Amino acid sequence: MKKILLPSVLCTALVYGADILPPEKRTFDQSKFIPDISLIMDASYVDRNVKDAEVGHLEVPGVVHGLLGSHSHGDDNHATYNAENGFNLNYAELVLSSSVDPFFTMDGIFHFSENGVEIEELFFTSNALGHGTKVKGGKFNSNFGYLNEQHHHAWDFADMPLVYEAFLGMHGINEVGAQIQWTAPTPFYLMAGFEILQGENEQMFGKDTIDLTVINAAANPEVAEGDDGASLYVGYIKASHDVGNTTLLGGISYAQGESRINHSTDDEGPHVFSGDAKLYGADLVILHALDSYSSIKLQTEFLSRELDGIQYANDTLGNFISPTMVKKQNGLYSQLIYTHDKNWRMGVRYDTIMQNDVEKDGVMIEQPDGLDKYTAMIEYHTSEFARFRVQYSQDYSMFNEDGQREKINTIILQANISIGAHAAHSF
Amino acid sequence: MKKLLTLLTLLPLTLLAHINIAVSYPYIGALTKTIGGEHITTTVLAKGNWDPHFIVPRPSLIAKVRNADALIMNGAQLEIGWLPPLINRAGNPKTSPSATTFLNLSHHVELINKPSEVNRKDGDIHPDGNPHFHLDPKNILLLAKTIREFLISIDAEHRDVYEKNYNDFFEMWNQKMSEWNQKMSEKKGLKVIQFHDNLAYFNQAYGLSNIGTIEPLPGIPPSSRHTIEIINLIQQQNPCCILHDVYHSTKTAEFISQKTGIKVVLMPHDIESLENINDLASLFDYLTSAIK
Repeated sequence: MKKILLPSVLCTALVYGADILPPEKRTFDQSKFIPDISLIMDASYVDRNVKDAEVGHLEVPGVVHGLLGSHSHGDDNHATYNAENGFNLNYAELVLSSSVDPFFTMDGIFHFSENGVEIEELFFTSNALGHGTKVKGGKFNSNFGYLNEQHHHAWDFADMPLVYEAFLGMHGINEVGAQIQWTAPTPFYLMAGFEILQGENEQMFGKDTIDLTVINAAANPEVAEGDDGASLYVGYIKASHDVGNTTLLGGISYAQGESRINHSTDDEGPHVFSGDAKLYGADLVILHALDSYSSIKLQTEFLSRELDGIQYANDTLGNFISPTMVKKQNGLYSQLIYTHDKNWRMGVRYDTIMQNDVEKDGVMIEQPDGLDKYTAMIEYHTSEFARFRVQYSQDYSMFNEDGQREKINTIILQANISIGAHAAHSF
Repeated sequence: MKKLLTLLTLLPLTLLAHINIAVSYPYIGALTKTIGGEHITTTVLAKGNWDPHFIVPRPSLIAKVRNADALIMNGAQLEIGWLPPLINRAGNPKTSPSATTFLNLSHHVELINKPSEVNRKDGDIHPDGNPHFHLDPKNILLLAKTIREFLISIDAEHRDVYEKNYNDFFEMWNQKMSEWNQKMSEKKGLKVIQFHDNLAYFNQAYGLSNIGTIEPLPGIPPSSRHTIEIINLIQQQNPCCILHDVYHSTKTAEFISQKTGIKVVLMPHDIESLENINDLASLFDYLTSAIK
């Protein structure tokens, strides 16, 4: 009895002790050092004319398969945003940021989903170097192009532009590495940046050694040889100019790295690509401000890529083959957004993959044309912190396993809500 | 030839002598230029006719912050939605909030309307208090003094110039203030309606009382239910007028005016927010003669 009594008395004393003192009198209170915190939720209701079981098997021929829906790689369960018909809880994004000391700031952005937690970004930034120089290290969204750096909740549509998602996947270039950016001492905005990244993009960049005997026990060579160390290099230049109430921002970007695309464990037609990848980007944003709350924004990006290497697979008879493979592909998206006032925004987007040249052993493989997608959306904001969106899209870019085009009509009702620190948006 | 040579050697010196100060709003630019005189240049980031809470963070503003030797901001979270990313991207230690060349004006005046509870259910409130403090002419003097001290701290060499400019301004402003006091004395006790409470300090200075805002809560656009409430309030309390900012649409105010018969008076909040308002004195000249 005594034994129980003593701890409980102690506990009560501790609890009361903590309550008696007002916060400003707690000598060792550190609550003032709590970083800026915000939590953003994104949920949606999806109505798609293709069944969930089917949508994960669709492909953009010659470019990518398994783009939509959810699918599993062994124990690993992947889902894109708005993966299923019906309700989707896309993520809870937790953002923590604060100064570290007079020289650095640190930002952490975590995505909680029903499949687990992902470190979306975690980086330190230094502005203390001066001369317009900014250095970043950690995991972050590359500043390649215009959209790549932005998080999902800053996008003007519920899904990523086709060309981005097809080439780079739903996270874009999101890598561990280092970045240096320099803003020139010019009267107009001119910025150049360079990044060295680890290079682990599932759809385009990679450097792992891949066991080819998984595809075929008789594989020769037995492995697609990998590479150690950082393997992806990104560079870009951006410039901006104002004409009255119109702002123009343009940029060109380049990324180059090793490429390993590992589909060795796929049930149907397992294959592996090993080679080099280059990605070119050009972007242009024109924003015309009508007043403090109303604007028209045109945003367009062109991406072009070259993959050059060897594909490892089985032929129709089940023999292991390793033809050379060259892919030259490009595409663009173009979108127009009208912001009416603080409540209403609306917009349209056109997506297309234009060039789609796939060459195996020097022989061009015919790919279908007309890989287009059309999207329209309308948004209502109750305040700066809550946004409700209806989006409708017609997608002509997806094909089923029989090589037949599947026109996908999708309606997405999206809710994006945030609490906590005020997130100021960049241009 | 000799003259040209001296000119050439002097040129970079004169360029160096200019301290380039980036400021968030036009009124800060005007005040800084008045005190700094020929030894400084000012670069104003926001436009005077726009809502000071919502400034498009154009990349050209990053270049302006990047090239600045110092930065003066209003503070009290007025710039929270647009200035932080500009500072982050500029890579300029001189404009970092911890730098001695960074000045937050809100730390040097007394803020009013500080909310006792901070919760976004009450709208987009400013936790530190109402940030539109420059619309009390007495605060302008405090701000001028703060800027004088700031300029002396970063450029002690021209202390005399800054002190003299401040003294000249002090004299002129006091004269103006008594003029404005006289003009406004008969308006004391008048009730007013506003769109957003950005004239809180002006109203306090001249004894006007704000009885309601057209927006139901700070930052939340007008709703029909609240508009009806405001119409009822006007009919009960007979305010003189609706004092309206220049950047929100006057549509709701015009509707209320039609229903109740009270006037809508445009009230500029900053320099360049209306034509012919080119300096601080003309801003207050306008404000103190707007209510007829």
